[in-house]
Amino acid sequence: MNSGSRRKTIDTVLKVALAVLVFTLPLWIKNPTYMQILIFMLLYAYLTTSWNLVGGFAGVLPLGHSAYVGIGAYTSTILWITWGVSPWLGMWVGAFIAAVVGTIIGIPTLKLRGAYFALSTMAFGEGVRVLAENTVKVGPCVVGGPQGICLPLVPGNNLALFQFVSKTPYYYIILIMLCIALFITWHISRIRPGYYLAAGGEEPEAAEALGVNVSKYKVWAMALSCFMTALGGTFLAQLTLYFYPKQILGLDFSFELAFIALIGGRGTIAGPVIGALLLRPVSEFTRIYLSSVLPGLHLVIFGAILILVMIYQPFGLVRPLSRFYDRMLDALSGEKKKER
Amino acid sequence: MDFDIILQAIINGLLTGSYYGLAALGLTLIFGVIKVINFAHGSLLMVGMFTAYWIVKLTGWNPYAALLVVVPLLFLFGYGLQGFLIKPVLIAQRDVREPTEVIIVTTGVWYILDNLALMLFGAEYRVVQTSVSGQIFMLGDYIFPKPQLYGFIITAATSFLLVWFLKYTKMGKAIRAASLDRDAASLMGINQYRVYNIAFGIGAAIAGIVGCVLIPFYYVFPTVGVVFDVKCFIIVVLGGLGSIPGALVGGAIIGLIESIFAQFIASTWTELIVYVVFLAVLFIRPAGLFGEKRDW
Amino acid sequence: MALIEIKDISKHFGGLKAVDQVSISIEKGQIYGLIGPNGAGKSTLFNCVAGLYPPTSGKVIYDGEDITGWKPWNVCRKGLARTFQIVKPFQKRTVLYNVMVGSFLKTSNPSEARDRAMEVLKRFNLADKWNILAGNLTIADRKRLEIARAMATEPDVLLLDESMAGLRPNEVDETLDEIRKIRDSGVTIFMIEHIMRAIMTVSDRITVIQFGKKIMDGTPQEVANDERVIKAYLGESYGAA
Repeated sequence: MNSGSRRKTIDTVLKVALAVLVFTLPLWIKNPTYMQILIFMLLYAYLTTSWNLVGGFAGVLPLGHSAYVGIGAYTSTILWITWGVSPWLGMWVGAFIAAVVGTIIGIPTLKLRGAYFALSTMAFGEGVRVLAENTVKVGPCVVGGPQGICLPLVPGNNLALFQFVSKTPYYYIILIMLCIALFITWHISRIRPGYYLAAGGEEPEAAEALGVNVSKYKVWAMALSCFMTALGGTFLAQLTLYFYPKQILGLDFSFELAFIALIGGRGTIAGPVIGALLLRPVSEFTRIYLSSVLPGLHLVIFGAILILVMIYQPFGLVRPLSRFYDRMLDALSGEKKKER
Repeated sequence: MDFDIILQAIINGLLTGSYYGLAALGLTLIFGVIKVINFAHGSLLMVGMFTAYWIVKLTGWNPYAALLVVVPLLFLFGYGLQGFLIKPVLIAQRDVREPTEVIIVTTGVWYILDNLALMLFGAEYRVVQTSVSGQIFMLGDYIFPKPQLYGFIITAATSFLLVWFLKYTKMGKAIRAASLDRDAASLMGINQYRVYNIAFGIGAAIAGIVGCVLIPFYYVFPTVGVVFDVKCFIIVVLGGLGSIPGALVGGAIIGLIESIFAQFIASTWTELIVYVVFLAVLFIRPAGLFGEKRDW
Repeated sequence: MALIEIKDISKHFGGLKAVDQVSISIEKGQIYGLIGPNGAGKSTLFNCVAGLYPPTSGKVIYDGEDITGWKPWNVCRKGLARTFQIVKPFQKRTVLYNVMVGSFLKTSNPSEARDRAMEVLKRFNLADKWNILAGNLTIADRKRLEIARAMATEPDVLLLDESMAGLRPNEVDETLDEIRKIRDSGVTIFMIEHIMRAIMTVSDRITVIQFGKKIMDGTPQEVANDERVIKAYLGESYGAA
């Protein structure tokens, strides 16, 4: 046998075990609060993976992605309440609208460099929030203004209407969505558009000199990112059954997606997942256990983590973690990682 | 529509716009030199406001006397912030054209400051009665609220001083040189990071000045900075990032939009108009009104 | 009919005439040099051809087609690849990744792009460094990577912007060899160079510009013996000596 086979076996075993664990988790965890935390973790991982398509690979910093979460949630919910369209269909309409809006916003702004892009997406996100807060009703459609929308409850677990009493179906739906999103980013990073996006994100002039229409690829990435983000918005609406502009269209939400990506590792495939896995529990548990003692402390901790990671691991936690994983494999197998 | 009402609205808009512009001035200065958007700018403003609040509350001083404490304090605060937290990231990212990581550091500072304030002072909205609060100055039939009028004067004085400083002092010239080309500046013997510290300190001090200006007529609360953050971002992009006249004119435009449109429609809608104008400018003139079309 | 026909190109920045009515015609298979003192407008002229910005007036005809004012990516797709004076590698990516961005121009198949990129790396003696991050390369290797990346687009014309600046003499010689090899493989070369010795030995024909205007063109011998050029380019003192 060639060298490294033992190491490879252990690697495969660990990864399969992890996959099995992730897919059977609802069998072990019965506490709905913990399930909710897990589901949110996956949702954030999904949304950040979508964000990462433009924020990571295209090398810009979008700070208004909550707008697209909101577009998804509002579209599918309004379609359902007003015309009885199942959210399963409505989510695609929302995603399509989000992609169109993202393209329209992206065409002028993606030509701008960093700071302008970050600020203009942020202002766009805030503009959408203000618009939603000021709109109570459009024709027959109830938007709800600042109060937002409460989804009418459907009894039992209704797959056709995307509403469940049990948390388990939500868990599997978002897990599958995340897997698909990860597959899409993985695939893109290996084909020409992925190379062109990354190249254009790093050195636009050099990429253009090599035949890359950088803006075009960035706009495509933006459209796809907004499309996927809006699908997550519908999921969020169906999960919480109540949403309002300050929450679903809030600045904090947009920022959190960016933070998760940056802390995990921007432009990497695993980064958003690792970021969500690490940050979500921190923010959930500190909120649960500390907010009654000292309101705001959890956000102070959050801020401190952000600063420390940016100073000591500016490329995110993916790098040190994968190095750690490699060393662990070395130790377990007694073999060194083969340098290709 | 009555002409007098419109003129009064214009007066109010310009007065409001002046402290918006002053708030944006610090942000645009920091961006112009370091090429970093300081997301903690509103939080620095909040720190300035709370400091001024406690000075006035505990000593009963005139709110503008608080400037004597707030300005040096915020300068040192900004100086230290840049020196201890931002500099290491800037150094690590010096090959990167746009160090977005620095934005994140300033955002971390924003979260920490706002929530420390929340922990210390609670979420309630506070007001303090000052010697100028609620006083007005009449010119004919037109009303000039004194605190806002003083704010306008302070804005003018601060802008004048800043321009003078940048043009005629040695440090000011070094700051301008570093803002044009940081590598060339450091070749010419300018200590780039010291210049950054000072620029950041001045930006923070200006945020502190706005805090003092606001105290007689504005609520103080831990997240007050966020209100100004978003406004400042819009103003600087509107005026052109890094441009001093851009910040002042941008501030005036936003102030005018808010006060004039408030005569016709509900004030919640004026906020939306601000965003629409902002996006329109971005489409038509992405570099802003006073910005050069430059590759940041 | 020349392969590249630059006709009366001017580029003004505000009141400054960076390039003023310059015409150059380059035959297929030539190595064509463009020289001039600092600030003569060489890079500006170059950027007008490569599409970084449109010329104020004048035309660029390539292979009978007017490509004036084309965007850089379209110029590249047409078959003119360029390098930058200040090299711009994708620093956070490997050497192979850098070259693959180039080789993706002619194929969308990743494994084919990878194979072609490896071929190019072998040609430029970078094959053993394929897995190194471009940001960690030496200056000489970065310059070589810059050319390799452009060559990976399989161009008909290579535009070289001071590829030898900052290199040691032996590295300059290696680069000259590489440039000759590129020409021998059928690629026309248009190059700006500051190092006199380098451009004199390798060029078939040279144009000299000063203050944005063309002084003369001719063979290296003609250029080297021209009074005006010696004064303009090498300074009065050199001319006297």
